[in-house]
Amino acid sequence: MTVHNAFGPVDIAVSGMRAQGRHMEVISSNIANSRTADAGQGQPYRRLEVIFRTEQEGVSPVCIDQIVPDQSALQRIYDPGNPKADASGHIILPNVHVPVEMMNLSTASRSYQANAAILKRYQKMVETTLELLR
Amino acid sequence: MPQPVDIVGLLEAGIRAEETRQRTIASNIANLETPGYRRLDVRFEELLAKALHSGQAAGATQVEPEIFQPAGTPLKSNGNDVNMEMEIGEMLKNSFRQAAFVRLLRKKFAQIETAITIRE
Repeated sequence: MTVHNAFGPVDIAVSGMRAQGRHMEVISSNIANSRTADAGQGQPYRRLEVIFRTEQEGVSPVCIDQIVPDQSALQRIYDPGNPKADASGHIILPNVHVPVEMMNLSTASRSYQANAAILKRYQKMVETTLELLR
Repeated sequence: MPQPVDIVGLLEAGIRAEETRQRTIASNIANLETPGYRRLDVRFEELLAKALHSGQAAGATQVEPEIFQPAGTPLKSNGNDVNMEMEIGEMLKNSFRQAAFVRLLRKKFAQIETAITIRE
């Protein structure tokens, strides 16, 4: 998305809302799969992380650079009754920690709100300017 | 002597373009979840700039907004590429421009009215 000179703050705030919306999608995937022992190829689900970047140098909208799997250690939990348990009675579960995800969710939703607030405030500013045309 | 610019005509063309754009945004939002729907956009400012630069200011008021389908927007899994936040942003910008044009038009009419009443 390119930023036009007129009403640039709108494009930037919208890019922030879109990016945070996508971030929330990734967080919800992490939470929904926090106990998924098989993510398709027999391997447990790996927590996904969103990496943001600017679209251009200087004043710029935000966009999502990539969504990468978190390479930190998977959880090993003792559960001998589980059919997926290994010889020592352990199962491997995703490296998702729900409290961490909830914290990220708060950050994402606050950031979304902040961008919406910018949009609202900017709308007020433009309305003030348009009042001068009366 | 440069040709006088038809301000009322230009503003009218602008308001017409914003109305078309508002309709495409409404269509985009209505089809937020329609599988395979691709968002529509309106091309007007570029056409207007081209008409103004061509030296024929009279032709600028005849510029019609053009509806087109932008390529390269990320598709969702259902083949749809409408994003609600983006449409809201577009709608906001559209209403700013529309309000500015309408107010300028009113100013222009008030000016004409002043010119008429001054003779009385």
